[in-house]
Amino acid sequence: MSDLVDLQSPHEIGHEMRDEIRRISDHLRRRRQVRSTIMVALCGVALAVTAVPLLLLLFELFHRGLPVVLHTGFYTQLPQTPSLVAPNVTGGVSNAIIGSIVLSAYAAVMAIPVGVLAGVYLAESDSKLATMLRIIAQTMAGAPSILMGLFAFSFVVRALHIGFSAIAGSFALAVLMLPVIVISSEIAVRGVPNTLREAGLALGAKPHKVSMRIVLPAAVTGIVTGIILAVSRAIGETAPVLLVIGGGYINSWKPLNPVSALPLSIYENAKSQWPSLRTQVWGIALVLVVFVFILSLSARIWASRKQRAR
Amino acid sequence: MDQEFMAKVKMEVVDKSTAPARSVIAMQLKDVAVSFHGRTAVRDCTFDIAKNRVTSLIGPSGSGKTTLLRALNRLHDLTPGAKVAGQILLDGVDIYRGDLTVTELRTRVGMVFQRPNPFPTMSIYDNAISGLRFNGVKKKSILDEAAESSLRSAALWDSVESRLKVAASNLSGGEQQRLCIARALAMDPEVILMDEPTSALDPIATLRIEELMTSLKQRVTVVIVTHNMQQAARISDDCAFLLMGEDRAGELIEFDTTEKIFNNPIDPRTLDYTLGRFG
Repeated sequence: MSDLVDLQSPHEIGHEMRDEIRRISDHLRRRRQVRSTIMVALCGVALAVTAVPLLLLLFELFHRGLPVVLHTGFYTQLPQTPSLVAPNVTGGVSNAIIGSIVLSAYAAVMAIPVGVLAGVYLAESDSKLATMLRIIAQTMAGAPSILMGLFAFSFVVRALHIGFSAIAGSFALAVLMLPVIVISSEIAVRGVPNTLREAGLALGAKPHKVSMRIVLPAAVTGIVTGIILAVSRAIGETAPVLLVIGGGYINSWKPLNPVSALPLSIYENAKSQWPSLRTQVWGIALVLVVFVFILSLSARIWASRKQRAR
Repeated sequence: MDQEFMAKVKMEVVDKSTAPARSVIAMQLKDVAVSFHGRTAVRDCTFDIAKNRVTSLIGPSGSGKTTLLRALNRLHDLTPGAKVAGQILLDGVDIYRGDLTVTELRTRVGMVFQRPNPFPTMSIYDNAISGLRFNGVKKKSILDEAAESSLRSAALWDSVESRLKVAASNLSGGEQQRLCIARALAMDPEVILMDEPTSALDPIATLRIEELMTSLKQRVTVVIVTHNMQQAARISDDCAFLLMGEDRAGELIEFDTTEKIFNNPIDPRTLDYTLGRFG
């Protein structure tokens, strides 16, 4: 005990000392408050810079798009070219709505199984092949989307002699979706605690059964979120489908027929000389945004329900 | 060391006269050593795990208890750089080099982990019979029977009978751990390895698991790693004491009946540890 420093108890500290401490702490507190106020203000400005363009965009979208989408003909009719006698007859975009659904559905069917399995493989394997695949996926994720269009054009449209078709567009979109699904699946699978894998192995399960029956179900929320993200991105892409789907002006669900797509209609109508068609663009954009919104919202609700069920 | 002090702190070893004698051997360890990337984690482990008895592995952190335990059902197989030397025999067959596949070994030597880890996407029922399903059992009558009997053995049946289809994560921590024990029991294993199975549980849940282990002795051999000296004294019949050596590798210091290890050990370090002088 003797070698411990004898601490002064508070009442033995002199008045001067106590005043000095209070002065310094007041000073420091004021400085902290000033800094804090500045930082909060900066954050507010940053938030405004982010939110204002977004809100303006949404306002414009609804303001101009809502009158267009409130007509049922917009969804059920085929597009018509306005004429001098009827400059406001634009028809609808049923072909583009069907086309977008067809394109993303076929693309999802192609990309999901491959992407998810590749993601599981990347997460569960440490081989050189896995490392290489991961680098490829990451590079592909950053590649400009027109590249996928070019690839689909030269491969599906030309080399396979399939021609301009929904399947060519789906192929381009599938290639676009693939890296997103692969990477998000890998992350989701890696997030599954190792003790679950060990529990499976310790029950005599073979490694592939552990992957498919334990790890994959446990990672499903993350995987589905990634898929929805990929689909949402693909459905709004213009560049990859521009070169290959042929812009069909009929309602077609068949994979080998040319189809249209919502982003493609936007692109074409926006170039039009007719003001009525240019107005219709906002309606198409609104439909597209609502599409994507519903997709991501349903994914969120599903994921949170799933999480709560655990 | 004065006798008076020793008598005062002497750990109370529960009377184990009901346990069968160490006549039949379930697993034999001969000079077992485990290394990771050439660095030895535990070595010099030679002892017999007697059938229908509880064997505890005790020792301070880093003494290689868990590492040794995981070698007993080849869980190190998937760890890159892990190497198990020496011999581990199950019923006289070398589990690493003998005529025994790793999946068969694991169905015969089950495991319960430190933290309860029921499969989160499966119901209570599915968890209980998951091992059977993984190994290809499909017949519903067999699965139903296995679910009930394993859950009964794990003292869980009465509280979950009415909610078998509920997600396993709805159970409390102690119930989850008993479900994990049921899951292991459903495979009808010869040996169950338990890696600090109660360290994440509250005292009451711990007590129930301990009672369970004692009753399980009738049908299986239990090997348990524990940090808890009282637990080792209460539930185990035999005890292996491990300690980290000079080169930071764990080694077996002493193996004997629990009574001997706690009351009359040969090595002074065993006594120091069981009396709580270090570790």
